Amino acid sequence: MPSVCFYFQVHQPYRLRKLQPFAEGASDPFCRESNAGVLWKVAAKCYLPANQRLLELIHRYEGRFRVAFSLSGVAIQQMEEYATEVLDSFKRLADTGCVEFLAETYYHSLSSLRDPVEFRAQVALHTDAIQRHFGQTPRVFRNTELIYDDHIGELVADMGYRAVLAEGADDVLAGRSPNFLYRHPARELTILAKNYRLSDDIAFRFSDRGWKEHPLTTSKFARWLHAHSGSAELINLFMDYETFGEHQWEDSGIFQFLDALPHDVLSARDWRFQLPSEVVRDLPARETLSYGRTTSWADQERDITAWLGNRMQQEAFHALHELGPRLRERNNPAALALWRKLSTSDHFYYMCTKWFADGDVHAYFSPYEGPYDAFINYMNALDDVRERILGDLPAQENA
Amino acid sequence: MNVLMLGWEYPPHISGGLGTACEGLTRALAGEGVNVTFIVPRAFGDEDARHMRLLTPDSVVATTRRVDQAGVRLVREPVEVIEVNSVLRPYQTPEQYLQARSEFAQRSEPVSHVMEVLEHGSVAASQAVAHYGGDLFSEVRRYATLTSGLAQRLDFDVIHAHDWMTYPAALEIRNATGRPLVVHVHSLEFDRSGEHVNPDIHRIEGAGIRGADRVIAVSHYTKGVIVRQHGVDPDKIKVVHNGVTRAEAAQRYHLQPEDGRPIVLFLGRITYQKGPEFFVRAAAKVLTRTKQVRFVMAGSGDMLEHVKHMVRELKIEKWFEFPGFVRGAELEKWFSLAECFVMPSRSEPFGITPLEALACDTPVIVSRQSGVSEVLRHALKADYWDVDRIAQLMLAVIRHDSLCADMLEMSSRELLRLHWRAAAEKTRQVYQQAVAG
Repeated sequence: MPSVCFYFQVHQPYRLRKLQPFAEGASDPFCRESNAGVLWKVAAKCYLPANQRLLELIHRYEGRFRVAFSLSGVAIQQMEEYATEVLDSFKRLADTGCVEFLAETYYHSLSSLRDPVEFRAQVALHTDAIQRHFGQTPRVFRNTELIYDDHIGELVADMGYRAVLAEGADDVLAGRSPNFLYRHPARELTILAKNYRLSDDIAFRFSDRGWKEHPLTTSKFARWLHAHSGSAELINLFMDYETFGEHQWEDSGIFQFLDALPHDVLSARDWRFQLPSEVVRDLPARETLSYGRTTSWADQERDITAWLGNRMQQEAFHALHELGPRLRERNNPAALALWRKLSTSDHFYYMCTKWFADGDVHAYFSPYEGPYDAFINYMNALDDVRERILGDLPAQENA
Repeated sequence: MNVLMLGWEYPPHISGGLGTACEGLTRALAGEGVNVTFIVPRAFGDEDARHMRLLTPDSVVATTRRVDQAGVRLVREPVEVIEVNSVLRPYQTPEQYLQARSEFAQRSEPVSHVMEVLEHGSVAASQAVAHYGGDLFSEVRRYATLTSGLAQRLDFDVIHAHDWMTYPAALEIRNATGRPLVVHVHSLEFDRSGEHVNPDIHRIEGAGIRGADRVIAVSHYTKGVIVRQHGVDPDKIKVVHNGVTRAEAAQRYHLQPEDGRPIVLFLGRITYQKGPEFFVRAAAKVLTRTKQVRFVMAGSGDMLEHVKHMVRELKIEKWFEFPGFVRGAELEKWFSLAECFVMPSRSEPFGITPLEALACDTPVIVSRQSGVSEVLRHALKADYWDVDRIAQLMLAVIRHDSLCADMLEMSSRELLRLHWRAAAEKTRQVYQQAVAG
């Protein structure tokens, strides 16, 4: 019985305001106006209509349609601050019993790559938030942007998780299919590998008129899924939730696609939708799969260079983590929360230069004019933490 | 394609970016198979112009011959600079000059108007004087009369004139020969002088731009100013960004400042247009955060004394140096020594110096009110009046090697695209449009 496992990422960072290092007085480094504005815009285009659609589908198929979410803690917190109706709509989905919430770091950070103490602390904060809002305790882990390697697998297994989601990168699978469960080479940890071809058909190519399969109908997509009958145990369709209505606009027909897909998938005998924890419960993980390099779901490279690929990103990441032990030591929740908001991966993503090369203007959302401004503003924010919170003297060298 | 090009300066004898741009463009045009005859007011003998024919208005030319024979043929004419010889001047006496002028005035109303302006206009209060020096209007008048005489003995398909000083000559030649005129706007009186525009220069500029068949602007920024200031149909104007010559990039020094203190560099004319006072005010802010820095302002100009006075008033002269006007090897030395080059111009049609700085591996901060900011993505940008931001960017460059390294790595790729070849190709298209009518 092949399963389709849908998983959606929901995340919004706390974006910084344009900091003025020569201005007097302290202010909130995060830009309330733009953060609320983005959340409202995405809520109107994606979260609210898509949640409504999912709720109808779950009722219509009486539980046979089910999906998993990973909501970052900072996304939940901003829903609480700016748009409680969005949080309520996720709670209604949770109440159906057909929606699973996965574990991750509260701050959608890169701490798994550098600071295990901080990583565990942020995961605990997230679990607490999921329990509080949705009455669930996550059993399956999903790291920031699907960032994963063997070492992260060990960290996650040692925290008690039975399964993890990861990118089905070609070089890691080395000819094997992503459509089966795998095991960590050294821990009791099941790996769900993303089928990036079928996932990206929806997430990236759906409205691409230059794509030879455009327009993508549900019957065509279901046919591609069903072609795997007998040669697959599950198809992992992992994507940003903003695919629905934000990346693929409403007029592309993406909501109609979502609406009609369960019918066409379920029309073939034996096919079903399952949640990650159900997949792990029902299916065997036959082979081990070693992630010798750190993968993610980003870009062609499926690596972490979108966040830590250039020198600015590495300097900023280093500077951030240098402050960690000192901030945790002080045990001041407000100061720690501020610093942790700066650990959110998006701040590093904005500093990426690889899409900024020769005329290749990558259409991605950044609140900055470019990567250099992103870096300078971020370093100003860290200076501010050093000077205002830790009481360091302003970096001044006298001749 | 034979082009009669009218310019005001040519390397190494330059006062700004115009001469450098003319050299880069003509070299690349030669590579495109375009034959250029370039007339510059004065030549000094050390110009390297082997790719074209360089003349002065009082050059003696034999008869011109067509050089575009069958097949691809790059022009490799020897430099043909003829010393001024008063006996051989086309106009030997004031009487002859006046006669020629009145004949000319009868031929063309707009041209006579321009000459009228030159005759009676005033150059006072204009930054153009500070820029080019001397009795500018009489220089322009001399160039116009002599060049138009010379042009009658030359053979060409199109006239290409660089900036207002050559427009009177260009208009006259267009009238006399009927050849189409392309004017190339590198800078405008508005850029140089802001509120204190010299009305006479502004009128000559307008006459040239309106009288031309096609206009080349060095940036979208400049195109916008032309349309606003002179009311010209935007469709007549083509934007051709300047390039940077790779030879400059090849001569890298990789020098380190002697005392290890990073140098923040201003290099250019110290005039109103270049916004030197914003550099000083930003420097004063930077010095509130670090004293481990030097500020170097290389260049001369009518605001130099004012700027020095400002520096004294702010009590920051200890961190400032004023090496005066630099060029050639010394210019590259400063670019190479500097940690950061800053161009806070109020209005910069293009601005080639940031490209030269980048070619020497020096990151740049440029004003948004510049054409070069349109083509440079791997540069830091600020509004020229935003002193806080300029200071913040200076500090960031001084403090973060990673920022400099990433910007330079990306911009070295970007510079490859900013080659004069691309500019020459677009310019050739403009010629073709002009010739086709």
